[in-house]
Amino acid sequence: MKNRVLIALPKGRLYETGTELLGKAGIIIPPAADGSRKLVFPDAGGRYEFVPLKPIDIPVYVESGTIDAGIVGSDVLRELEADVYEPVDLGIGICRMVLAAPSGTALPRGGSLRVATKYPRTTERFFRGKQLHVHIVKLDGSVEIASLLGLADAIVDLVETGRTLRENGMHIVEDVARVSAKLIVNRTAMKMKSEDVRHLITQLDTVVYENPGQQN
Amino acid sequence: MDGKIVGLPAGYRDFIFSDAESRRRIENEFASVFSSRGFREVIPSAVEYLDLYARGNQGVRERAMRFLDRDDNLLALRADFTPAVARIVSAHFREMPPPIRVWYSGPVFRKTDRHRGQYQEFSQIGAELIGGDPPAADGEVLDVALQCLSRSGFPDACVHVNHAGIFRGLVNSLGLKQSDLSEVRSAIDRKDMRALGVRLEELGVNGSVRAQVNTLSHTVGDSRALAAAASSIDNQESREAIASLESLALRLPRWRDRITFDLTEIDEMEYYTGVMFTFLSPAHSVEVGRGGRYDSLMREFGVDLPAVGFSFSMDRLGECE
Repeated sequence: MKNRVLIALPKGRLYETGTELLGKAGIIIPPAADGSRKLVFPDAGGRYEFVPLKPIDIPVYVESGTIDAGIVGSDVLRELEADVYEPVDLGIGICRMVLAAPSGTALPRGGSLRVATKYPRTTERFFRGKQLHVHIVKLDGSVEIASLLGLADAIVDLVETGRTLRENGMHIVEDVARVSAKLIVNRTAMKMKSEDVRHLITQLDTVVYENPGQQN
Repeated sequence: MDGKIVGLPAGYRDFIFSDAESRRRIENEFASVFSSRGFREVIPSAVEYLDLYARGNQGVRERAMRFLDRDDNLLALRADFTPAVARIVSAHFREMPPPIRVWYSGPVFRKTDRHRGQYQEFSQIGAELIGGDPPAADGEVLDVALQCLSRSGFPDACVHVNHAGIFRGLVNSLGLKQSDLSEVRSAIDRKDMRALGVRLEELGVNGSVRAQVNTLSHTVGDSRALAAAASSIDNQESREAIASLESLALRLPRWRDRITFDLTEIDEMEYYTGVMFTFLSPAHSVEVGRGGRYDSLMREFGVDLPAVGFSFSMDRLGECE
């Protein structure tokens, strides 16, 4: 097992589109028989092995080399500042990370802006880049509510359509980042398992760039 | 009993009996190779002025464990050996005719990110050859490193070699300004070749140079792969750097099967000035050490001597045993 390239798949919103993309790249992930599945399983061709993980855990596994490669959103990747290769932007899971605030209120300038987010490091970098000082409240659950209840003046979070924000009486103040899923690769794996890793990169790169617009 | 008496702080560990013995055994093998090749040991102080790390690799300075002495001087636990070696050479060997061959072994301390399972104390063993010129000194140091690995239980260990001049030559021919350059470096470092291509095009870099950047980012292999890369590169500095890698390998026929030319990795910190080494253990799929030529670092300490060296992670070597 140690010598087959081990790839982390993100559980959740990227799982379906991610495995579909791998399928188009000729790396077929068989559907789990009657819902039961081993923790680690091979693709149909037996060249790779896969392990589904919570997205936030994937960069750490890949950076450490415990897992050779993975699919993960750039939101999580930037937040963890993992030192890995990012050879392919997969063009799936596209959304925006934005700064949002309750409609009709002006954000306090300077002084003491309180921002609730699941992405404290990204948020800190964003405001540091603007040379603004913020107090960050790190949350794991819904952050809109933090702003509505007054725990924070604003939030930094992902939006796809912006509908949830509007329904909650909030508006987008500014874009923080464009988010999309990336293929990430461990630096040593690129050298030590070069042939299989490069095959993976080439196949995915070809699918992504020869069939634009087919994802999402 | 109180956890602070019998416990250990996060990021530290003990090596007990067999773990300690395997590290000691590796160190002894290295030491005997070093001494047979004319390298003498230095044991630098475990505490330095933090300012020692103001030069060279900036990541080291940021991660150094710092504290104040009684006169409020800002000090740090040893965070890297190479600056300490440079300091020692500058202080004690100014009058000595080069080359100077030293080796070292011991712990270094760096702050790590919380909860990533990384240790804040780790052990390095390595050597530096100061005041030796490129082809001969590079070959000697690489030979010593591979001999150390071979003797200490890593007979299949291999090295990926690169040369900072290859990328530097290409980048100089791009004619980019500093801020764009660091963006380009970082895209190359992430290996995001599509984004890099788009960005280089936006910056007005012509198609032929973009193709060369792409070639470098894919060149891994034997001397044929290196020759193929050489034929696609058109600037003088890169070509000379590639030629010097070829001649380095020719000097070490006994290690021919262990040397892979790998032009894909760039030195984002711009620490190295010539050859760069990455040592790998294929059996364990891990990197065990790094090295290379850094001709400008010694100058920062007032000694104008070229230098080449390497450093292995004792922790990785010990785990692979």
